[in-house]
Amino acid sequence: MNDFAYARARTWDEALSLYEPGAVYVAGGTDLLPNVKHRLVKPARVVAIGGIPGGIDLATELVIGATTPLQQVADSPVVRALVPPLAQAAQLVAGPQIRAMGTLGGNVLLDTRCLYYNQTEGWRTALGYCLKAEGTWCHVVGGPKTCVAAQSSDTVPVLLALGARLRLLGPSGRRELPIRDLYRFNGMDHLAIEKGELLTEIVVPRPPVAFRGSYQKLRTRDSIDFPQLGLAIAAELHGDTIGALEMVVGAANPQPKPVRGLEALVGQPLSPASIEAIADLVYKQTRPQGSVHGSEAWRRQMARVMARRGLEALGR
Amino acid sequence: MSSTCRLRVNGDELALAVPEHWTLLEALRYAAGLTGTKQGCDKGDCGACTVLVDGQPVLSCLTLAHDVRGEVTTIEGLATPEGPDPVQRAFDVSGALQCGFCQPGMILSARALLSRQPNPSGAEIREALSGNLCRCTGYTKIFEAVRLAANTSRQVPVRYGQPAQGFNVIGARGRKADAIKKATGEAIYADDIALPRMLHGKILRSPHAHARILRVDTAAALAMPGVHAVITGVDLPTPYCIIPWTPDETALAVGKVRYVGEGVAAVAAVDEDTANRAIAAIRVDYEPLPRVLDPRAAAEPGAPLVHDTDWKGRPRADNICKEVDLAFGDVEGELSRAAATVDAEFFYEGSTHAPIEPHCAVATWNADGALTVWSSTQVSHYLHRELAKVIGVHTEQVRVIQPVLGGAFGGKSEPFDLEFCVAALSRKAGRPVKILYTREEVFYAHRGRHPMHMHMRMGADASGKLTAVDNDVLIDGGAYHSFGLVTTYYAGQLLTGPVDFGTYHFRSRRVYTNKPCCGPKRGHGSVQPRFAFEIALDEIAAKLGLDPIEIRRRNAMVSGQRTVNGQLVPSTGLHACLDAVETASGWRQRHGKLGRGRGLGVATSMYISGTAYPIYPNEMPQSGVILRADRSGKITVFCGANDIGQGSDGMLAYIVAEETGVPPDAITVVSGDTELTPVDLGSYSSRVTFMCGIAAQEAGRAMAGKMRAAVATAWSVPVDEVRVGYGSLFHGERSMPAREALVLAEAALGTPLSTAGGYRTRKIGGDYRGGTIGASPAYSTTAHACEVAVDDETGIVRVEKVWAAHDCGRALNPQLVEGQIEGSVYMGYAEAIMEAHTFDERGLHSGPNLLDYRIPTSKECPDFFAQVVETIDPGGPYGAKEAGEGPLHPVIPAIANAIYDAVGVRLRRIPFTPDRVLQAIRGGVPC
Repeated sequence: MNDFAYARARTWDEALSLYEPGAVYVAGGTDLLPNVKHRLVKPARVVAIGGIPGGIDLATELVIGATTPLQQVADSPVVRALVPPLAQAAQLVAGPQIRAMGTLGGNVLLDTRCLYYNQTEGWRTALGYCLKAEGTWCHVVGGPKTCVAAQSSDTVPVLLALGARLRLLGPSGRRELPIRDLYRFNGMDHLAIEKGELLTEIVVPRPPVAFRGSYQKLRTRDSIDFPQLGLAIAAELHGDTIGALEMVVGAANPQPKPVRGLEALVGQPLSPASIEAIADLVYKQTRPQGSVHGSEAWRRQMARVMARRGLEALGR
Repeated sequence: MSSTCRLRVNGDELALAVPEHWTLLEALRYAAGLTGTKQGCDKGDCGACTVLVDGQPVLSCLTLAHDVRGEVTTIEGLATPEGPDPVQRAFDVSGALQCGFCQPGMILSARALLSRQPNPSGAEIREALSGNLCRCTGYTKIFEAVRLAANTSRQVPVRYGQPAQGFNVIGARGRKADAIKKATGEAIYADDIALPRMLHGKILRSPHAHARILRVDTAAALAMPGVHAVITGVDLPTPYCIIPWTPDETALAVGKVRYVGEGVAAVAAVDEDTANRAIAAIRVDYEPLPRVLDPRAAAEPGAPLVHDTDWKGRPRADNICKEVDLAFGDVEGELSRAAATVDAEFFYEGSTHAPIEPHCAVATWNADGALTVWSSTQVSHYLHRELAKVIGVHTEQVRVIQPVLGGAFGGKSEPFDLEFCVAALSRKAGRPVKILYTREEVFYAHRGRHPMHMHMRMGADASGKLTAVDNDVLIDGGAYHSFGLVTTYYAGQLLTGPVDFGTYHFRSRRVYTNKPCCGPKRGHGSVQPRFAFEIALDEIAAKLGLDPIEIRRRNAMVSGQRTVNGQLVPSTGLHACLDAVETASGWRQRHGKLGRGRGLGVATSMYISGTAYPIYPNEMPQSGVILRADRSGKITVFCGANDIGQGSDGMLAYIVAEETGVPPDAITVVSGDTELTPVDLGSYSSRVTFMCGIAAQEAGRAMAGKMRAAVATAWSVPVDEVRVGYGSLFHGERSMPAREALVLAEAALGTPLSTAGGYRTRKIGGDYRGGTIGASPAYSTTAHACEVAVDDETGIVRVEKVWAAHDCGRALNPQLVEGQIEGSVYMGYAEAIMEAHTFDERGLHSGPNLLDYRIPTSKECPDFFAQVVETIDPGGPYGAKEAGEGPLHPVIPAIANAIYDAVGVRLRRIPFTPDRVLQAIRGGVPC
């Protein structure tokens, strides 16, 4: 890694005060440090925020501190009871050590990933670099304009489907942002936050009593791997009738993808026919790009299968 | 920027001067000297660096040292004055440690699990260990160890099982000689060595797949403070190769580079950061040349030449580095008369060894000009010879020491650039130099499984008797020769048993391409054609309406038979292996009857136990053992063999214990040190148990002879009536502890006690050019059955169970044999399902790291059921044969055949990725 200075923050305000241009924040380090080792990020200063207490608090809403380790989210009785898909997604992130180190905030702010980007400097030199780092060409789409590195977080599709909000603290003060507005379709600059801005809390609204949901992850191995595709489902079921339905596809593009047109299904029964119609919507709107492992065509077909299976399981 | 880093480690308060950008892994290894924590990938992909922080497993390579806020426990901190942690002892006695390199991290993850859940379920164990990759064990014995530690009180006893009938030790289940050292972090691997004033070396690597080197300017690097030496290809121009006939490689590229990742220059500097900056400052001007990556294109006339000349300087006309064409009988005639035939193309994708320990070498020169190199090699002897040749000194000035080795699988069985570079840099700098490969460099060093395109034709008569096999193989060799001559022969020569056939033709061509050089990966050269053969055989069975096990029985070779290509197979246990997997898998009740989506498959193979001829011709023994006994009652075994985690040190101790009566734990093995140990050619071709075993047996018998003679004299009884038993020598009712017999013998002889034994090669092999390649003194036999579940909608194949019956002759230590079987099956499973060592159109590796190159975790790894079949071999030590490579072969075709049973499609290309399987199920052409 390049030679950087380390500073430890004990509070969010202290973290903000330690920030300077060229600095980066580090919590768990599991996303940042491989990128620093790859010389994709060359910080002058690293401001450590992992020591700022996180925590999971349920009042009118579920509030999770950004520095809460993913394993704590996965194991939390509150999260498991209230929003099982979030616990499920957190449990499916990488392997045990990374879940113990990595934080929910870090997973929300995860850098986009690409087979042409997350490589060593020597490898990228041989490639001739890419649009996201030091180059002028995206090797996935074969063009100079768009970077399609994939948003590869497991918890993000779930948080979107749940309508989560983010509490941010930055040089211009505190603000709240719906997580849906955080991501842009631009792998090089996919986060709509200011430089130096900190994510302090993730707020998940209390779901309705009739809530059902799930998160499914496509990957080669049952541990360690990033998703090849993720699918979050958040629904309300009144008996057999769909009261509400949100579905979000992850790891296909720089942006998590909320499926459009699902409101048309509200009020209908969850039947083989409606499930097929929904799965078709998901398939049509899922356009995975080759920035992650696995053929695009197959991953797209899997969106349909995962949608169908996820919906069928909701009814059970 | 360095500042004081306060760490609480294993109960100590440490104040270390550590740069602020260092990781906890660096602080522990370099500043605190706690080398039990291992570096496997340095990027959070493998788990080898796992430590506990406040009892929680974390990756020390992704933790900044200054950011640690809790109490750190490393593997060194787990033991107490009362002894090792029960988890450490359980790993020791269960055979869960092979190379041991992943185990400090694995043991700490297991410790954390048992601390929060004292009696975990199987699923909880798999989950808790799923961030720690192991490459040796297939996780099977690791799960056993965790269950053992969970179910016992404070200490797990060390014990040996019952020996085989009539033996003292042989046949007893027992621990590996060095396991507890590995479990406690005491074992010293190459990267754990730190010498005073040691420099760190780095190698600059080519970004081009094929380019002429116009100029290398090292001035800026050399001028940097802290840089002590820089070398380029011209400093080490002597070509070498593990096969002495085909030296086509230099330590660093001379004239041109032939693959992305080839070494061009190397530096030695005060630390790794400086060395990295220095190689970045070296300027190389290249003239890119047309590259050739596909072996089919490379074999065409007019293809760009990877090598313009051969090693004698003669211009080359093509990229064919070796071609073999051998025929035995009238294949075409038999094919035309056959009742059933198969004619199909197969492709076997390349894969790599991916040992968790990256290659590492350390060199130092003494004041008299003698060189010592510690290297993670499995061939110290060949490295010794090649180092002397390339460095330009006499072999007597070179000493090679193999420290504890963290996994190899064939990937460390020839010299590598780093070994020459540390020697040359160290000479130039006048200081010791270490080079540790990055994980990326391990992928470029490669020498892994060759991709092979195979055209297999097979014919059988109506009874299912195989009458003809035609095997045409195109081998993608990569940029250099490596073991290529042998690979090219093995691709045909090793296919001729344990299923027998009447006529045979094979043509095998290995071509150069602009990619990292392929070489011997576990099951060298023969895993690929075996894949094609066993699928074709299944197809023949289907065409004739025969059960897949039955067709193999009908063609089973018998002990003492010669193969169609003239190799004598002294013993084979195919029938017993087939019976075993048939019963274990419930084959008769279940094959073809499990319903759509679930299936059983079977396949078989045969493998050599060493090769009859050494790599360079000589009349000296292939293996030597010297024993030295001492008055304390201990025996030290000196042998050049390389223990690569498979347990050859333990095997040697067992045999010497068997012969002398001295218990295995009182025997110390010194191995793999060219200055202390007699030559053994190395750990390759599954030769060690057979050849070193015979040498050890001979030396042990000689030692026992001296002991028995002394006892006979003392007791005034005939020497041939004195027996060696476990721990003692006996005559009738009388007994004397072996340790006393050693004292008596030393007194009687008036000299220290020392004996020697050797393995001398017998002349064997077919009577034709190449007939000795693939000729082995003994052959193992294997049969696998496996059960798969295939998801029709996703194409995802889950291999649930593999029953592996392996005839290893006499199992000297069944626990270690099982470990070899399980590890082999794991590695084959991985090749079948997920691994692919592939390159893009630039010749760029598709992901030279352990995140993109996926190797199985504890979670999806199938259940392996190893069964040891003992067909006593007339030539092996106590009848033993190999166990480390043969059991890899059948699993890949067995999975393909099980997929056919499940969903009715034939897959002729690995890996069986879900998209390929789904395409095949939907009637597309399997790609």
